[in-house]
Amino acid sequence: MKVSRRDLISIGAIGGVAMAAGGCARIANRFAEHHTEPALPDHGVDETSRLVNRLSFGPRPGDLAEISKIGKTAYVEAMLKSDGKEDARLQFLLNRLEVFQMDAYDSQDIPIPEVLRQLQAAAILRATYGRHQLHERMVDFWTNHFNIYGRKGLTANRKANDESNVVRKHALDTFPNMLVASAHSPAMLMYLDNQGNVAGKPNENYAREIMELHTMGVHSGYTQKDVQEVARCFTGWALEKRFLRHRWAFRFDPDLHDTGSKRVLGHTIPAGGDESDGLMVLNILSEHPATAHFISKKLCHYFLGDDGEKWIGRTEETYQKTKGDIPSMIRPILLSKELIDSPPILKRPFDFLVSALRALDADTDGGTAIQEHLFKMGEPLYQWPMPDGYPTRTSAWTGSMLPRWNYAYELAAGKIGGTGIDWNRLQDGMNSEKMFELTHSRRPSRMDGELMSQIDKEFSAGKDGHVGAGFLCLASPSFQWR
Amino acid sequence: MKQAEVARSWRPSRRSLLTTGLGLSLASWAGQRSALADLAISRENKDKPHDILVTIFLRGGADGLNSVVPYMEDAYYRGRPNLSIAPPKDPRANTSAKLLDLNGFFGFHPALAPLLPIYREGQLAILHACGSHDTTRSHFEAMAAVERGLAAQGPGPASGWIARHLATTERTDDSPLRAVAFGGTLPDSLRGATNTVALESITDFELQAPKEKLQHYQDALSALYKPGKDEVFHAGQETLAVLDSLRKIDPAQYKPSQGAQYPDTDLGRGMRQTACLIRANLGLEVAALDRGGWDTHYAQGSTVGILSLSLDDLAKSVAAFHRDLGVEMSRVTVVVMTEFGRRVAENSGLGTDHGRASFMFLLGGGTHGGQVYTKWPGIEPHQLDETGDLKVTTDYRDVLAEVLSHRMRNDKTSEVFVNYSPQPMGLVTALK
Repeated sequence: MKVSRRDLISIGAIGGVAMAAGGCARIANRFAEHHTEPALPDHGVDETSRLVNRLSFGPRPGDLAEISKIGKTAYVEAMLKSDGKEDARLQFLLNRLEVFQMDAYDSQDIPIPEVLRQLQAAAILRATYGRHQLHERMVDFWTNHFNIYGRKGLTANRKANDESNVVRKHALDTFPNMLVASAHSPAMLMYLDNQGNVAGKPNENYAREIMELHTMGVHSGYTQKDVQEVARCFTGWALEKRFLRHRWAFRFDPDLHDTGSKRVLGHTIPAGGDESDGLMVLNILSEHPATAHFISKKLCHYFLGDDGEKWIGRTEETYQKTKGDIPSMIRPILLSKELIDSPPILKRPFDFLVSALRALDADTDGGTAIQEHLFKMGEPLYQWPMPDGYPTRTSAWTGSMLPRWNYAYELAAGKIGGTGIDWNRLQDGMNSEKMFELTHSRRPSRMDGELMSQIDKEFSAGKDGHVGAGFLCLASPSFQWR
Repeated sequence: MKQAEVARSWRPSRRSLLTTGLGLSLASWAGQRSALADLAISRENKDKPHDILVTIFLRGGADGLNSVVPYMEDAYYRGRPNLSIAPPKDPRANTSAKLLDLNGFFGFHPALAPLLPIYREGQLAILHACGSHDTTRSHFEAMAAVERGLAAQGPGPASGWIARHLATTERTDDSPLRAVAFGGTLPDSLRGATNTVALESITDFELQAPKEKLQHYQDALSALYKPGKDEVFHAGQETLAVLDSLRKIDPAQYKPSQGAQYPDTDLGRGMRQTACLIRANLGLEVAALDRGGWDTHYAQGSTVGILSLSLDDLAKSVAAFHRDLGVEMSRVTVVVMTEFGRRVAENSGLGTDHGRASFMFLLGGGTHGGQVYTKWPGIEPHQLDETGDLKVTTDYRDVLAEVLSHRMRNDKTSEVFVNYSPQPMGLVTALK
């Protein structure tokens, strides 16, 4: 079984960690050699190019010209609002994915690999063709923040619902709304074992992760006792199992609920409560300063990399002032100077895969063949087993360069089933400069000399030069960053 | 180059590989493609041999109490009315449903049966009630602590303990393949390590371009990845060097020895490939493998259930590896570890919640096996910690530090496990 390979993958530490000190300085220095930041182009970062690379899954041909025309502020504002209208081609492709048209309960006869295929296809299609690119980026962020492993039991069948009603619905809403939706998500309740959390025999899994990973962050002041008390509050948060009801929907089951009084983070939750106990916990967590900090920190790092540190304080304040309004929190980050001049961020495999499709205006069905590449690169969607989501740190991904090169080659050579580049459409006057600009969304600078000379060689070698040139552009060190 | 010279310079200089791609010495060495046996002895010619370390990390918090079971503890049966396993001498239970006795106090879960002969012949040591100082019971905190080689998550080196081991034993002529991790990403224990790759499978570790273009494209990539210094450049250079190395062996043709049969699982395949890399003598020093699925809050079961399936996979994979390598186990040490154990009392879902101490295995030719090493704290309620968990009485670093100093010739373990003085345990024979 291929899938369980995901289980093998390690889990990264959350949050920052201090560097070596004292006796370890010698080693720390040696590591430092390999941690040089990637170089920026000699002629400086192109503002529009950087903006689009951070807010979207990379520019498509023509995007930069269009965005330069409307200006940075107007572009950011447009991205922060989603009018819900989708590209017609995208809508057509999505309509063919039945798991999104069905109830989880009705879809249980569809085998899990097929459910996952459809879920991943939708994600690839939306990231590639979606008009609301910032929304798609935030979906990537929240999908990992509220990670659900699709290979556990029948969570996959419930994930389509979670995707529509939690992640996509609230990606640019408020954090508290999203948290409440996630806590009622059948996929989440099942993934974190809350169906087994009952009065007298609490299961701590969801209680721990909601504090550690969804809201406050680890070491933020809660105790093991708090975990146990929160677990008691969520007893009875279960799924509808009764005949002729909306089966597998959320249901609060009073018979399974612990009605005793609880004490959570210094707040007393009086005896005799029902679903209200869990709702009170969600409220306490949403309003906790540690949550404002933790969510802000993750958002800042997602958009600014390590330079995000500078923006955490301000973002936290906005969280508190606006009660966790996501657009209000990220607007200043997106307009910040750091977004433009901070060091590049490594593209995770999903970023890398989609940005290549967009750069070369590829056609894709998002199907099995391209999903196989995502798997080999280490990021099959909805298949990270642990609740912390795929790691963002660079070193987690640099061990798998070869699968990136293989994807780059197969994409350029037209060897991925259901996915292809129409070179005739792109090739009009294709040459090294144009290939570079399409893939890198900027003009070549002095540091790109080696790449330019290699792709020159490809073009002068024969009529299929665009295959080798496209491959080398996508496989080059500079295309791995955004 | 003649055979004798090949033997002397068996290890390609990493520097030459990185700068010129296929170095001359390696090119000649490559001619020995089918003669792995000849290569296998050449290592000793250059420097004092040390072991190859294989780590298997059980991710999710493996339940020590149902794997290496303290069956003489009445509290075990009281705390786990549904999950407990019958003692070895229980006349009512049939063999597959009761424990396998280890020392009159602890018994193996029946799914660990394939490891019993190795324990009895003295190459498997079992440790119990071990772990870190981490009390968060968070997977991520506890794993990070152990993988960074710390008492608990917090200040300290950001790099992983294996990475620091590699750094403190680094030489100028190291192989480009000092360490491998099987999987798409590098584990934190290897964070900051050089000469390390994450592999899905060594058999498909190849550029998927047409044969006639392969060298051309590889040369082009070498040119692109030569000039820079950031992590991506470095990773690209390492990858190209490994491509060169692996082309010399033919992993698809690898035949395990002595009829060893690896399970067709990720762990089984990983162990098989590790054996192949060890045999190929590419200069591998550490292989890091993982096996997930131990977070058994639900449906853990006793002799049937999730834990049983996981233990079965672990035992069969390790036993096959041991059989396959045979006498070569004299230069291999395998460590099996997890981030924490699980609570003594079972929960409502035929499972267990996060706990504290768990078990470790140590296996190899240099291991003083056939014993359970433990300062057993007991599991009666008054002997547990405040949450109801088995106390940690052996620091996991004592075990790892001894392996590194005695078997891996690392004389700087204080730089690997900073601010810690490991207690000698007498688990392994020191190499001379």
